[in-house]
Amino acid sequence: MLYDIRLELHYDYEGFVHGDRHLVRVAPASIPGVQRVIASSVVFDPKPDTETNFVDFFGNLVTTISYSGYHDRLDVRLTARVGVEDEAPQADLSPDLPGLQRELAAVWTLDANSPHHFLAASPRVALSRPITQYARASVDRTTSLRAAAMDLCLSIHRDFTYDEKATKVDTLPLDAFDLKRGVCQDFSHVMIAGLRGVGIPAAYVSGFLRTIPPKGKPRLEGADAMHAWVRVWCGQHDGWIEFDPTNAMLAGPDHITIGHGRDYTDISPIVGVLRTSHGGHDTKQSVDVIRVE
Amino acid sequence: MDKRNQRQAPVRPGKPGLIADYRLLPGIPDEMIDPSGNVRPGWTQLLAGFDELGPDGLNARFERADQYLRDAGVFYRKYDGAAGKERAWPLAHVPLIIDEADWTVITHGLVQRAELLERVVADIYGDNHLVARGVLPPELIARNPEFLRPVVGIKPSSGHYLHFCAFELGRGPDGGWWVLGDRTQAPSGAGFALENRVATTRALSDIYSKMHVHRLAGFFRDFRDALNGDARRNDGRVGILTPGQHNETYFEHAYIARYLGFMLLEGEDLVVEDGQVMVRTISGPKPVSVLWRRMDASFTDPLELRYDSRIGTPGMTEALRQGSISMVNAIGSGILETRALAAFMPQLSRALLGAPLELPTIATWWCGQDAERQHVLDDFDRMMIGPAFSTILQIEDREQTMLGAMLEAGPRETLRARLVAEGSAFVGQEPVTLSTAPVYVDGKLEPRPITLRVYAARTAKGWTIMPGGFARVGSSLDTAAIAMQRGGQAADVWVVSSKPVERVTLLPQNGEKLIRNSAGSLPSRAADNLIWLGRYAERCEATIRILRAYNARLAEVSNPEIPLLADTRTYLDSMNVDATEALPAGLVSAIESAVHSAGQIRDRFSPDGWLALTDLRKTSRNFAARVQPGDDATRAMTVLLRKLAGFSGLVHENMYRFAGWRFLEIGRRLERGIQIAGITSWLTRDKAPDGALDMLLEIGDSVMTHRRRYNVSAGTNSYIDLLVLDALNPRSVLFQIAELREQIERLPGGIEDGQLSATAKAVLELHTQLCVAEPEDMTSERFEELGAEIGRLAGLIADSYFV
Repeated sequence: MLYDIRLELHYDYEGFVHGDRHLVRVAPASIPGVQRVIASSVVFDPKPDTETNFVDFFGNLVTTISYSGYHDRLDVRLTARVGVEDEAPQADLSPDLPGLQRELAAVWTLDANSPHHFLAASPRVALSRPITQYARASVDRTTSLRAAAMDLCLSIHRDFTYDEKATKVDTLPLDAFDLKRGVCQDFSHVMIAGLRGVGIPAAYVSGFLRTIPPKGKPRLEGADAMHAWVRVWCGQHDGWIEFDPTNAMLAGPDHITIGHGRDYTDISPIVGVLRTSHGGHDTKQSVDVIRVE
Repeated sequence: MDKRNQRQAPVRPGKPGLIADYRLLPGIPDEMIDPSGNVRPGWTQLLAGFDELGPDGLNARFERADQYLRDAGVFYRKYDGAAGKERAWPLAHVPLIIDEADWTVITHGLVQRAELLERVVADIYGDNHLVARGVLPPELIARNPEFLRPVVGIKPSSGHYLHFCAFELGRGPDGGWWVLGDRTQAPSGAGFALENRVATTRALSDIYSKMHVHRLAGFFRDFRDALNGDARRNDGRVGILTPGQHNETYFEHAYIARYLGFMLLEGEDLVVEDGQVMVRTISGPKPVSVLWRRMDASFTDPLELRYDSRIGTPGMTEALRQGSISMVNAIGSGILETRALAAFMPQLSRALLGAPLELPTIATWWCGQDAERQHVLDDFDRMMIGPAFSTILQIEDREQTMLGAMLEAGPRETLRARLVAEGSAFVGQEPVTLSTAPVYVDGKLEPRPITLRVYAARTAKGWTIMPGGFARVGSSLDTAAIAMQRGGQAADVWVVSSKPVERVTLLPQNGEKLIRNSAGSLPSRAADNLIWLGRYAERCEATIRILRAYNARLAEVSNPEIPLLADTRTYLDSMNVDATEALPAGLVSAIESAVHSAGQIRDRFSPDGWLALTDLRKTSRNFAARVQPGDDATRAMTVLLRKLAGFSGLVHENMYRFAGWRFLEIGRRLERGIQIAGITSWLTRDKAPDGALDMLLEIGDSVMTHRRRYNVSAGTNSYIDLLVLDALNPRSVLFQIAELREQIERLPGGIEDGQLSATAKAVLELHTQLCVAEPEDMTSERFEELGAEIGRLAGLIADSYFV
């Protein structure tokens, strides 16, 4: 599957800002066996005074930009062509939970893919008893880890209502869990908190999802959105498998990955520190994921 | 730590005076008395000196030490509730004496340990061989909140992660020293060790000079030279990075900065430009290449390390990636303080150094491993059980760490179940027992438990151990009463040699190159605070003078509704001062603001100046509670005025005429100009009540001068002439502008190649206008305008030097 992706982020600041610095994580990375990036570019307007690129701990592509002068808006534009592998999911050979614990104890590495990084609470995912109990039910109902993760993925989809107004970008998983409402970010954080609560390594994936317009309706420009889902370590043999609790499915050829981390804070599209005399800013976002072939 | 020494040894009978009642505890070694009851070498001389002084002499000497600490303003911050309070430094007057031979064991052990810790942290943030070889469990690192992933793989620009470490030691029942904890994050206390030394030797100078006590200065000199050497290689300067004046050891940050001649910097002083850390100074950004970090690592960068940090510098991690800054210690080194890591120190030593630890670590079992967890469960009663990832020492952690045997049935089962369910979150440790050393209580020496904090610095000669440090002394015989937050005390540590020791000083030696810092390297934030200190001090003075004039008149007429008084109240009201209060809250808050500004720049002026200012605050708080309007308040204002003059005098007469002084002076002159222009405008307006001009003269402190200069015809013009246009009256507006002009022209960029800066032009214009003005042209409106123009100068200065 080959896609052309366009992402535009617009920030309108209330007053002028200056001396600001941002980390931008929007460019998809090539991931062996999952996707390959054919071309990609990130452009900023106004032009930053400094712009450097680096690869972070988890292998994500990061651009650091800084401005010394004053400006009152910031536009980030990504264009990329990405080929996504379309492989049928392999047979479930994952262990049960005690088996997973044994396999984990045999993993003596701390490289970026090591499941050990994804077991503890992280800045935005605290572990909490209610969510852990919710996940425990999925483990109890199933016999393999993959089945348990899929059960949890389907449970969230069934029990939660998609509601853009219910939560904000910094809503904590337990609050979303109590509301049983939220967006992809909330569903993913809840699923991660549940899995880690019972001892299963889980990571947060940021990316894009191609949306297919209803039959007979034209595709709307910019109507696609950034998306988030969950990566679960299912033992040495099955490895990392990706689940999308928002859509009750495994991530597949329509999911294009930007990168992953322990939670949203590790892979948020843009974080910045700036000085301003006024308060807030307006944000607009538009995404197009167009299938080329 | 086997309890081998169970014999209670009474002190040899017949010992007189001080140690007559000194009783050793069963099985606990004592630093002063050996197990057979003899006074140890080193202590005999000290005790002889004490006996010679006698109880009264000794008390007077100890009071001398306390007086020194009070005068020097040595404090630490104690946290009780939301706001920490400043506390006097709790000096235990009796130094801890350690024999040189005993000290050599510590020195060797700690040099080995520092080297080991360097290799461990380099591996954790580098190749991870220790995990791959099965020496360190990956979970211990991956779950660790001090494992900072953004700096994984970044090689320190200096080539080393660790440059300055502290170790907490205790002497076990077997008589040997044990390491109770490693401090690698941002070790505190080295400056306090210095102050302990100064205070103790003030008290005991004669005894000290007779004994061969190793000096501390050489250690600091070598470390200073090492940091300066690192900085010069990269063409930058050295800064001490402090979280600011609310930190518990801020005094020490300011003290060390002054002592070693480093800049004291906060996160907002710094900016990262093109991957280089720069300090914002009054002459623009200047490169910094070494930061001695006194804040926890994750707070240093709000962008990549800790999003909620308000004290960091965005881009710090980027500068580390670019290799342009050397951090002392490297970001991420705090992971070495993890309590569970102590369990692995013996294996790590064998794996990395091929040798056992020279100084043992307190026995620790990490419950993330099956066999170790089982051992802790089996030996539950005799274990101190606490959080595996805590970086607090066992003896300081009363909230989270507990002895198994002390738990009642319910909590006991809960904790045991948690050890099974989430073992990796817990460690078991053997309980710490400590040796005792004497403290002086009511004319006698009594034993108290002690721990020893020792410092290691990386210098040109490799790891160097400070020959001394400080001992923490418990407030009771309970080992857990050591922490100073709970009333423990700190004692100086004398390492005593049998031979004369080298005397060292930080003064430049013959042939050593003299380095002068340039005036332009004043950080902008410090300059800003100096201006505000000057302004607040002057605002206080103006307020006090108006209040004094007001209350004096109130005492005479006793009717507060006469026009002059009502009119003055209205004016004071515009300054947020309510004159119906004898000591208005608005005045107290201006004094608090002055103290706050001064508190942020403690490294820049003398302890005397600071004491004068805090004394003013204390007095104003006392007065606020009891002063009555009228006569009483008049007298109170006179007292405050005198104290304020004391502060101004100390600062004015003692502060070196560097850029810092210039900004303080500019602040004073700006505010005095604004205040005089304001009150003159108010009291010379058409509707001003009777008596206004006399009051103006009094507030302007110019009554006598006026009488002398205008003995024939006094009138509005003569008042205006004297208070606004007289170049010789230090209270006139023109005088302030002339001073401002002189100082502004001398600021960096003030006049360069004959070109005037925007601020210099503005002050020149104002000066010229006033020089040629005649009193009859001046009106109340013009004075008001004048105040606004001076205010605009303040804005111009801020725009040119503080952005």
